[in-house]
Amino acid sequence: MNKKIFAFVIPIFAALLASLFASKLPDALETVAINYGFANKAKETSSLFSGYSFPFVENHYASTFLAGLIGLALLYTLFKIITSIIKHLAK
Amino acid sequence: MHIPDGFLNNNLAGGLLAGAVVALGYCLSKILKTITVFVGAIADNVSETTIGSQSFGLSENIGKYFQRLASIALWVFAFQMFNIPVKSATSSHLLGGVFASVLAGPFAGFTIMSFILIIQSLFFTDGGLLALGANIINMAFIGSFLSYYAYKAFSKKSRYLGIFAACFFSVMAASLACLIELGLSGSIAFSTAFKNMMSLHLGAACLETLITLALLKIFRNINGESNE
Repeated sequence: MNKKIFAFVIPIFAALLASLFASKLPDALETVAINYGFANKAKETSSLFSGYSFPFVENHYASTFLAGLIGLALLYTLFKIITSIIKHLAK
Repeated sequence: MHIPDGFLNNNLAGGLLAGAVVALGYCLSKILKTITVFVGAIADNVSETTIGSQSFGLSENIGKYFQRLASIALWVFAFQMFNIPVKSATSSHLLGGVFASVLAGPFAGFTIMSFILIIQSLFFTDGGLLALGANIINMAFIGSFLSYYAYKAFSKKSRYLGIFAACFFSVMAASLACLIELGLSGSIAFSTAFKNMMSLHLGAACLETLITLALLKIFRNINGESNE
C-alpha cells in the first residue's frame, strides 16, 4: 500500500485523539488575560463551528471530532483551489 | 496564542492586518515564481520528469508540490487542536511554524500558517477576525518565516540544535510580539505581564521542540525523504 496515504490519515487520527483527550484548560495568553483581569475584553463572536464544536451534535467528543474533520476538509479545499489557480497561471 | 477580538485596539489590528495581507501576497508570488522556474526548467530539459515508473508533466508536478504543502497544513491544523496541560492550570498546543518552514521553506511555511490561521479565525473563532493580522504576524511571520532563519543559522552545527533554537525562538518571540501588541493597545502594561507571559510560554517552547522533532521524523519517514 502507498505509504503516502498516511500523510492524510495521521491528521485525521490526530484530530480524533485531540477530540478525546485535548485539555480544556485556558492557554497561556488566556491565563495571562485572566491573571491581569482583561479577559472580559474579548469579544465573543460566534461562527459556524465556534470553539471547535459541530452544531446540533450533543455529544462533546463527536462534536469536536466532526468540527476537526470539517476544518481539515476546508483547509484541503483551500489548497486545491490555490493549486488549480496556479496551474491555470503557469500554463 | 490566538488573540481574540477586543484585546487589541482597532488601529493597531487594522495596520497589522494590512501588513499581513501584503506579506501573504508577496509569499504567494514568491512560491508561484519558484515553482514555475523550477518546474519549467525540468520541463524544458527532459520534457517530462520521471519518478519511479511514472512520468509527470508540468501540471502534475505543481499538483504534487501543492499536495505536499496541503498535507503539511493538515498536520499542523490537526496537532494544533491537541492542547496539552503544561503547568498552573494552563494548557498549550503546537504552533507548528517550525515544522512547516523546515519542510517547505520560509515562504511556503508562512503561506501554510496564514491559511491555517484564516480557516481557524473564519470558522472556529480561534483568534478574532480583526486580530487575524496580528495573529498572522505573530505566528506565521515570526513563528514560521523568521524561525526558519534561526533554524538555518544553528543547523550548521547540528540539526537538532537548529530545531531546538528555532522552536524556542518561534514560541518566545511570537509571545513577546503578542505582549508588545497588547501593551501598545493598552490592554496590559508590558512590564507587568512580561514575567508571567514568558514563564508560561517556556513550557510551550519545550513542548514545541519535542513535538516538532517527532513530527518531522514521522513526516519524512512517510514521504520517503532523508532526515537532513
